[in-house]
Amino acid sequence: MVQERRILYEHLDVPDINTFDVFRQYDGYKRFEKAIKEYQPDDICDMVMKSGLKGRGGAGFSTGLKWSFVPRDIEPRYLCCNADESEPGTFSNRYVLERNPHLLIEGILICCYAMGISTAYVYIRGEFTLGKRMLDAAIEEAYQQGYLGKDILGSGFDLDIYSHPGAGAYICGEETGLIESLEGKRGQPRVKPPFPAVEGLFHKPTVVQNVETLCNLPFLMGNGVEWYTDIGRTYGDTRFDPPQSDPNTGTKLYCISGDVNKPGVYELDLGLTAEELIEVAGGVRGERVKAVIPGGSSAPILTHYELECRLDFTSLTLWKSMLGSGGIIVMNETRNIVDCLLNIMKFYAHESCGQCTPCRWGTPWVRDIVQRIADGEGRQTTMQRPKFGVAEGGRWGDTGEMEEVYEDLDLLESVANNIANVDTMTWNTICVFGIAVSWPAVSYLRKFRPEFEAAIREGKLVTLSVEEATVPPEENYAYQQRIVPSLFEAPT
Amino acid sequence: MSNELIQIETPFQFSEENQQEFERLIQRYPVKEAAMLPTLHLAQKQAGYISPAVMEHVAELLELPVMKVKDVVTFYPMFFEEPVGKYVIRVCYTLPCALRDCKLVLEHIKQKFDIDVASETDLAKGTTPDEKFTLLKSECLASCDVAPVVMVNDDLYKNLTPEKMDEILDGLE
Repeated sequence: MVQERRILYEHLDVPDINTFDVFRQYDGYKRFEKAIKEYQPDDICDMVMKSGLKGRGGAGFSTGLKWSFVPRDIEPRYLCCNADESEPGTFSNRYVLERNPHLLIEGILICCYAMGISTAYVYIRGEFTLGKRMLDAAIEEAYQQGYLGKDILGSGFDLDIYSHPGAGAYICGEETGLIESLEGKRGQPRVKPPFPAVEGLFHKPTVVQNVETLCNLPFLMGNGVEWYTDIGRTYGDTRFDPPQSDPNTGTKLYCISGDVNKPGVYELDLGLTAEELIEVAGGVRGERVKAVIPGGSSAPILTHYELECRLDFTSLTLWKSMLGSGGIIVMNETRNIVDCLLNIMKFYAHESCGQCTPCRWGTPWVRDIVQRIADGEGRQTTMQRPKFGVAEGGRWGDTGEMEEVYEDLDLLESVANNIANVDTMTWNTICVFGIAVSWPAVSYLRKFRPEFEAAIREGKLVTLSVEEATVPPEENYAYQQRIVPSLFEAPT
Repeated sequence: MSNELIQIETPFQFSEENQQEFERLIQRYPVKEAAMLPTLHLAQKQAGYISPAVMEHVAELLELPVMKVKDVVTFYPMFFEEPVGKYVIRVCYTLPCALRDCKLVLEHIKQKFDIDVASETDLAKGTTPDEKFTLLKSECLASCDVAPVVMVNDDLYKNLTPEKMDEILDGLE
């Protein structure tokens, strides 16, 4: 069985690790001291680039690359730490904030030193009251110990960290939405470009990083690039290694919830399969897996025969899904996919910020259509269009039959695809919220179509067996279009 | 003349302690407007909800039009524009909690207090007549491993069943 490798979470359960003294005993702030004494800021940026560290917030964008976009000649520059953890199924940042806030502060210190930043804001979602209290206390302690404030450790480097509470809006987890919200406005995302790296908070260059990404920095600093890039290759010998140009290095805090026996956060090397992860989490609760959401509720769903997919940023993209924030939700054979989609669509309909029309109107429409199907009032029509095929006379044409069409299912897919098209990957909205709506809507429908059809036909929610509910692999669009990782196997 | 329809509100002022807190907050940002969310949180903690008088005071402090404050208050679900109960109960209702039977907990609270779930536009229907509890459905509270979860004011309660919920609610003053 795959073993956990605890790095970020290694000392999470140490009593009083949230205090400066105990954190210090476990190498706390020593990695920052190493950075500030032995390295120039540019060396650290280089290290981050070479490490292949990818942003853990959702997009999986290379952190080093993001840093390289920041113009160094505009002052001041800002760091926003994104602790607005709202993606359903994700809960790893909460534990860092509540139990080991000094680790985050150390990560912020290293990032700010590398980027020459002297003000950092930690945007914490409003519901994390305990997390904010713990972080505030830790920041206070760090000031007292001289690790924050003016002229830190006599190096001439200044840094202030402030925590900033959100107020319950999911969209503020989007980086430009977060910036707007931090500026004291409605948290509606901005049109990009300009990207925040060039023009962000208060119209200055801004680095926005997730808590988990920043927490990787002390360990990268302490152990070096080689140590870091070796992590994530342990599965590599018999299976696919991501191509050199797009490495998936380091560990990931996989959050697993739903129908598993031991839900929780598991820190594992990037790249194990979904099957292995479920095994690590104590196996499925119930008879068998029906579906798995691999990266927070926005990610396209995986069926039971897609569980061999590796859970890293590259592999999941090649399988037409995404790792996102690493929130894995497992559903067993008793779950009804229509019901699950309804729950998720209610979430998105509530959280749409209302800025772009396709999303403001489309998302509630999608919810209403799914609601109608779940209520047993889904529309089914016998279409007037004749069915085409090989006719009696052996010629191509009208077969004389009428085609049975599930009107609501076509409508559902059409509305969703008009918010954001999952086939062309283009969205008609400012931010990626649009694709976060249509991805689940379209993938649930296409991959579990029999269950939707049954709900319309029977006039009520019908939970089919796993085999009956799932479309076979040969009809599964994602499975057919997936890029098989072995194609990328490095030549030996 | 009948003045009954005109509600005259007492102006809102920060307490001395909160005023100091506000002065500290405002130092953190290069523009005053950025202190909006923390200031509103502070005001809501003192006043219970964001009344027009609160908005006016916050607008004055931040040197903004009142409309800008109202704009923000209406956007974020954590700010209330009407009075709420002493304890705000937020039942997480998103998928991971739904898979772990949060419905039972929600229905139990509804029956226990004989109230409906409050909506953002109608908080009164989810508030007990003695104004002790307000029941809200919440989006993911980021504690899916210990689902179902409920937040009562600032405290999170985990792995809930209707019985456990009873114990917790009965223990509140």
